[in-house]
Amino acid sequence: MPKVKLPRKSTIVDMTAMCDVAFLLLSFFILATKQKPQEVLSVTPPNSISAKAAPDKSILITMTKDGRAFLTLGDDTKKSAILENINLTKGLNLTPAELAKWNKDEFIGLPLNQIKGSLTLKTPIPPSKLPGIPIQDSATNEMVDWLASVTNVYAGGDQAKLQEMLLVKGDNQALYPVFKNIKLAFKKNQLFKFRIVTNGEAVPVGSELYLNPPVKK
Amino acid sequence: MAEITNQTSQNKNKRTQCNKKSTRVDLTPMVDLGFILITFFIFTAALTDAKAMNLVLPNDKEIDVTDAVCESCALTFILASNNQLFYYEGKEENALYKTSDYSSTSIRKLIVEKRKRVMNKIGKDNMVLIIKPMGHSNFKNLIDVVDECSISVVKRYYIDELTESENKKIAEISLPIISQ
Repeated sequence: MPKVKLPRKSTIVDMTAMCDVAFLLLSFFILATKQKPQEVLSVTPPNSISAKAAPDKSILITMTKDGRAFLTLGDDTKKSAILENINLTKGLNLTPAELAKWNKDEFIGLPLNQIKGSLTLKTPIPPSKLPGIPIQDSATNEMVDWLASVTNVYAGGDQAKLQEMLLVKGDNQALYPVFKNIKLAFKKNQLFKFRIVTNGEAVPVGSELYLNPPVKK
Repeated sequence: MAEITNQTSQNKNKRTQCNKKSTRVDLTPMVDLGFILITFFIFTAALTDAKAMNLVLPNDKEIDVTDAVCESCALTFILASNNQLFYYEGKEENALYKTSDYSSTSIRKLIVEKRKRVMNKIGKDNMVLIIKPMGHSNFKNLIDVVDECSISVVKRYYIDELTESENKKIAEISLPIISQ
């Protein structure tokens, strides 16, 4: 019987198609992922098992490691109204031009009495030098005034929606008294529900929540 | 690694003899690079999305809403400095302070066992957790405990301030504060 001759085939595969797929996927992921907003205030939030995504438009209070508090008004439609409101209620005497300039600031991290002065500066104060909104003791807790302005502006609107927007983001190492004063500021404005920004974590296997997950509505 | 095969043309015409080079390039490294970038983007994208945890504060103004808590249902956690965790059961007057830590094996076990005891005694899940953070405890400690409450589905918990006597007691038994 004659030997069957198998033709030798080259092992080289054409990679062009695979390359196309790879870059197609790559471009898809780049376009599909949201650009992370640049973080000027470096904060490492704690972990929690919560699976609810934090909203983009939010009223965010940030607590840094060194105990400073910042306020970010993420809802652009209401931002200028809130700033105008606090200008009126606290008598900051800002001109419309100054208000417009203030509106461009990404976040607020100055005591109210220093705001007018800071707006006349040519170069803005770098975030690392900002003193933060004073909340250290309950007598001069300016977060109360800020949240009062926020509630004033949102007064006619959907309160449940406002509750969803109130976020507190704190550093792992931030000490409790800072959070306590933020909590007090919320309470003084009759805001009893807010949310805390955390890093997601899986529900531990074997725990009560794992065994009996809540029924989704 | 680009593969270039020399093919000497067997052309009989000697004047136009030039070696034709293949235009094929090995794309394997390019594919590798593509997939590395994809994995990088997937990982970074998954890590950036922040989650939000709900926190509800009690309304102190409504005093007429009284909520009686049975003595054996209460479990108080005191979050002290240097990641120390103390707890006691029942009322503060005859409290027996014990130490614990934030690891899942200790705090979760405490809550689960407490619930079992309450269930055996009262017949329903009436457990109440009281969380009392001290001035030198950090934000992570607090969120860890609140998170444990949601992991173990604790229906009632609240964040409270320490009383004078508790402060004194904890000062005696806790380690000195190390500045962070």
